[in-house]
Amino acid sequence: MAPVKPSARQFSACFRCVRGDASFNGAPRRFLSSSAAREELQTTSSTSPPPPPSSTPVDAAKDAAAPKETPEYMKQWGDLDPNAVELKRDERRLIRREGIQPIGSRRRRAIIARDSAAKAEQIPFEQLPYQCFQEARKVLLADREGKLKDIKTQITRIENLKAQDPAVSGGEAKKATRLRSMQNHLNDLIVLADINDPLVKKKFEDGEGDMNKPIYRYLADQKWRKWKRLVLEQRIEQFNLVPDLLPALDPIADVDLAFGRKNIPIGDFVDSAISENPPRLNVQTFERGQKLVTVVVVDADVPVPEKDSLTYRCHFIASNIPIAPDQTSIALSRIQQQSRKTENVDEQQVALSWSPPWAHKGAPYHRLAIFVLEQKDAKALNISEIKNEKRDGFILRSFVDRKQLKPIGVTLFRTKWDESMEGVMQRNGLEKEVDVQFKRKKIEPLPYKRRTERMR
Amino acid sequence: MNLSAFRPVLRPANASKYPIANALRPNAALQRTVTPATASPFSSTSRMMKRKKGKGPGTDPRITAIRYHLSHPLTPRPLHFSRLRALRHWTIHRAWLLFLRRRRWAEERDLERQYQAMRSACEHLRLMDANGNLVSEAEAGGQGADPGVIGSGGKEVGRLYRAAMLKRGVWGSVPVEYARAQVDFPGREGWNHAWTRD
Repeated sequence: MAPVKPSARQFSACFRCVRGDASFNGAPRRFLSSSAAREELQTTSSTSPPPPPSSTPVDAAKDAAAPKETPEYMKQWGDLDPNAVELKRDERRLIRREGIQPIGSRRRRAIIARDSAAKAEQIPFEQLPYQCFQEARKVLLADREGKLKDIKTQITRIENLKAQDPAVSGGEAKKATRLRSMQNHLNDLIVLADINDPLVKKKFEDGEGDMNKPIYRYLADQKWRKWKRLVLEQRIEQFNLVPDLLPALDPIADVDLAFGRKNIPIGDFVDSAISENPPRLNVQTFERGQKLVTVVVVDADVPVPEKDSLTYRCHFIASNIPIAPDQTSIALSRIQQQSRKTENVDEQQVALSWSPPWAHKGAPYHRLAIFVLEQKDAKALNISEIKNEKRDGFILRSFVDRKQLKPIGVTLFRTKWDESMEGVMQRNGLEKEVDVQFKRKKIEPLPYKRRTERMR
Repeated sequence: MNLSAFRPVLRPANASKYPIANALRPNAALQRTVTPATASPFSSTSRMMKRKKGKGPGTDPRITAIRYHLSHPLTPRPLHFSRLRALRHWTIHRAWLLFLRRRRWAEERDLERQYQAMRSACEHLRLMDANGNLVSEAEAGGQGADPGVIGSGGKEVGRLYRAAMLKRGVWGSVPVEYARAQVDFPGREGWNHAWTRD
């Protein structure tokens, strides 16, 4: 039977399976457009395939084949790459002539072969010979030139205004307002200069955008606001984080929560065994510059059976954590380890170390809210002061007010009694609480009353 | 896509429900229905005729017709592009939007320029006396809301301006009700009692 090459459709269906562990580095890959990103990842992985167990196979094969003197008919088979042979016949020939096995699945090899073939004949995107496309590019480039000129003018104007005497520009306050609005206009211009560039769009969709550049920050912000922030807003409302924990909340940073390698959607139930260790946060800010943040984890539903009410409990506080648009990861466990190692209190970051969230048996779920609070003017807080915060009855509002913090991001998970909760509580010194079980209050029925005609 | 399900109903030639259609149908069809024994397997009979009888009422032909016209094969398909093709499309689209925006901007500037020219001409008329000389603001009459006010310069100052500001005949034969957009509900102040025809 003639060897049949698998069709391209089959390949596109199985890009995912070939991609390998690229996405399992724990961090959720953000701001990618799905299919395209997969393709890009695929091409990068094909250029550097996983090394075979032995030394490089081609060299080894040559060493082995050289003394044997390959016959003429075998030379006619041409170049056989163990990474890219896709036909059964070529595989057999490779094994026969080179004496090595082809690498990976046939499906994978076929994709690699097709990709490298496609790469070889690629024209750069901006030079693609389509007339309308090229005309459009001309229009866009001309517009960009105009925008660059505007930016230059605006910068000069701002400098002139800065040099101006405040009396001339109508007082200090008025001058500051004007400067701010001019700076805003400049920022808009900088974004507008790049927003029509197809390569910028492509890079952003591939997740290769440099978050230090305003255009990529702008695009990421837009994307975040289009879906993830809406979901977050809904969760904040559904779980009453406002007004239970804070009077108002306007998140401006994207916060992803993960325990180990497990990403937690906002408000999901987390198994107590998983939440025994501190989580990892990924805080993406969309504003320029570094910020110092405080991370606070609060349980908003701690029952007080004596008073038949609820209170708060603080599970974690860490301060003076630097974040920036390109420096997003906050691994609480790593921060905690570092703080344990450092002797100097002022250099520590963790004020209250992680105490695993727990809930009584039979009690309703607890909301564990994680707040990312920006410190004022990026000034460091005094850790030893924060260490005095009490865990039980921790009021986030007053903490935020006292320390002059500004909430920029929030995420949430929930916990309730599960099988592993008993072990978690025993390991963390809560043996007394293990046996406590909450039951629904029995409501005394009203005294019997004879149904009369009037009641019907 | 197989659209045969949406095809409009072709009424069966022998349907007794439609006497007019029966009266109008051609003779050939009549003969064919009379002699069913000669029906060949390759008949050109419409699907309705081939249907089994006694299956109950089918779908309403009106519904079928509506569905047919809603999902017509001539309805443009959604755009499905490859990655780079989509990017090129996007580029062209952005350039087109930019062009539209520039054109709109230019049109607006043009209108603005025309308006300013008219305005400055009127201002000139207002400050002009009978001899065509410029007068001071105090001598000239009112402007804007009260163009009829006459200043200290007398009637001769700004006469042409006042004539230009007359609204007589603006509405011509059009009812004055059309000065306001006709909507379902009256405005917040239902009736302007102060209005007079002057």
